[in-house]
Amino acid sequence: MKRILSILLIAIMGMANAAFAQNGVRASYKTDINIVSVNDVHASIENMPKMAAIVDSLRAIDKALMVISAGDNRTGNPVNDMYSDPSYPMIALMNQIGFTCSTFGNHEFDSGQEGLARNINESNFPYLCANIFPDQELGIQCEPYKFFYVKGVKICILGVVEAEFGGIPSTHPNNAKGMKFSQAEEAIRKYLWLRNECDVFILLSHIGYDEDVEVAKKFPEFDLIIGGHSHTQIDGGEVHNGVLITQNENKLKKLTHTVLVVENGKVTGKSATNIDVKNYPKTNVAAKCLVDFFSDNPEFKRVLAKAETPFSSYEELGIMMCDALKDFSGADIAYCNAGGVRFEDHPAGDFTVNDVLRLDPFGNTAVVVNVTGAQLHDMLIACKSVDDHGFPFTSGMSCEVTYTDKNRSGIKDLKLFGPDGKPLDLKKKYKVIANSYAIITSDIPGDDQGEDLNIGTANVLMKYLEKKKTVNYQGRKCLKENF
Amino acid sequence: MIVKVNKEEVRIFKGATAKHAILRYILKKKMEISALDQIKVFDSQGHKIGDDAPLKEGQSITFKI
Repeated sequence: MKRILSILLIAIMGMANAAFAQNGVRASYKTDINIVSVNDVHASIENMPKMAAIVDSLRAIDKALMVISAGDNRTGNPVNDMYSDPSYPMIALMNQIGFTCSTFGNHEFDSGQEGLARNINESNFPYLCANIFPDQELGIQCEPYKFFYVKGVKICILGVVEAEFGGIPSTHPNNAKGMKFSQAEEAIRKYLWLRNECDVFILLSHIGYDEDVEVAKKFPEFDLIIGGHSHTQIDGGEVHNGVLITQNENKLKKLTHTVLVVENGKVTGKSATNIDVKNYPKTNVAAKCLVDFFSDNPEFKRVLAKAETPFSSYEELGIMMCDALKDFSGADIAYCNAGGVRFEDHPAGDFTVNDVLRLDPFGNTAVVVNVTGAQLHDMLIACKSVDDHGFPFTSGMSCEVTYTDKNRSGIKDLKLFGPDGKPLDLKKKYKVIANSYAIITSDIPGDDQGEDLNIGTANVLMKYLEKKKTVNYQGRKCLKENF
Repeated sequence: MIVKVNKEEVRIFKGATAKHAILRYILKKKMEISALDQIKVFDSQGHKIGDDAPLKEGQSITFKI
């Protein structure tokens, strides 16, 4: 009888604790809150089955394990990003693992407003972000914060994303149309009252390590900041002003397992350890099956355009890549380093997604810069000087280059011509676009070093081919070489 | 924007990553570009960061081969 009474008493106390916690009254017993957190996974779906196995192991110890992402779940793997429903593979895997929540990273916006709204609807977990204000008609469902009731503890998670790219997250500006953003700190101040409504207060941040440290210094109200964006590997977590900060390098090489000890409604202990995901010896079979399914993707065979004639040189393919960049950006001139064109012939007929990914496999982004004709002249020479493959290809202009020798090892003279065939005005300013590698190797003179448009050059080419439907570059030239 | 790589200023486009800044540094120093494949990158506090970590104006990073 005594034993039955004891069991009943324990059960009643447990229920009462849970009920109190739900009503904003602090939990009055000691428990551990286990959290697995990731950030900047960037669609490394190949590591997700190992992460799933780690989560399985931890759930075997604590069924109430929380699994949290600090954003940038997508962008970085064509298998995910070029899927017919972009980013669905990552979301399917996150659903399968059973994520508790995610915040937005700047790359969550990369599929535009419709893509983001669709991705949110496909997710079995909420997105938390307090400094985004989307127009209602976009259908972007997110909450600034959410309460989670875990083992009788009331946990509040507040989400924020960086908005440092001219007041929006670092994505192509078109992707953020119809959405307003405030600075993360402003949003944090607005929601500090949440501290008094919960036992555990967590900031889920995609603003970067330095900013997380600043937040911790200014707002010791947080128990934990789960960070992302700067790809900073914080081994074991760091405590700043009493706030534990965690983050990992990108691509899911590691994850963080955080344990918060909660006693009488307060966090009395906190620790974080990193688990090596990449080298974890176990794999979750169901997640692996999903990855295999998504990797065998018919999307890569999708025809983007028909080539009316065969391509028979790097130059023809390079001009097409430059035309795509110029068309996308409305720039006057586009150029591409010769080594950025990865094959030199292609038969007439179908030009597929896979062809584009083979032609431009480096994950470069499109960068725009405003320079004079004279500056462009020097940039093209600098770009060639570090590229054994040859002189850059162009659109919106052509070049006549005279080399010092037959090996093209040095340039004696370079003349630039406009689309009308007349010499390019060297004093005039031009809007120029190129891939990020070409821009960096071009040693741009002057203060304007350009700005990333936050879109992959392969993606730009795919859009161009889909728009054109048919292409014909046979015999196209942009370069005259003299030896 | 201007960032520091191994204590030296380099100018790079807005939105560039750690790898871009290091490539600019490597070219400036006339080092072999192939060195990029073996680098380990650290922030100003000594944390390891991913080579495609986004950078901001004035940030300092270091790298080791």
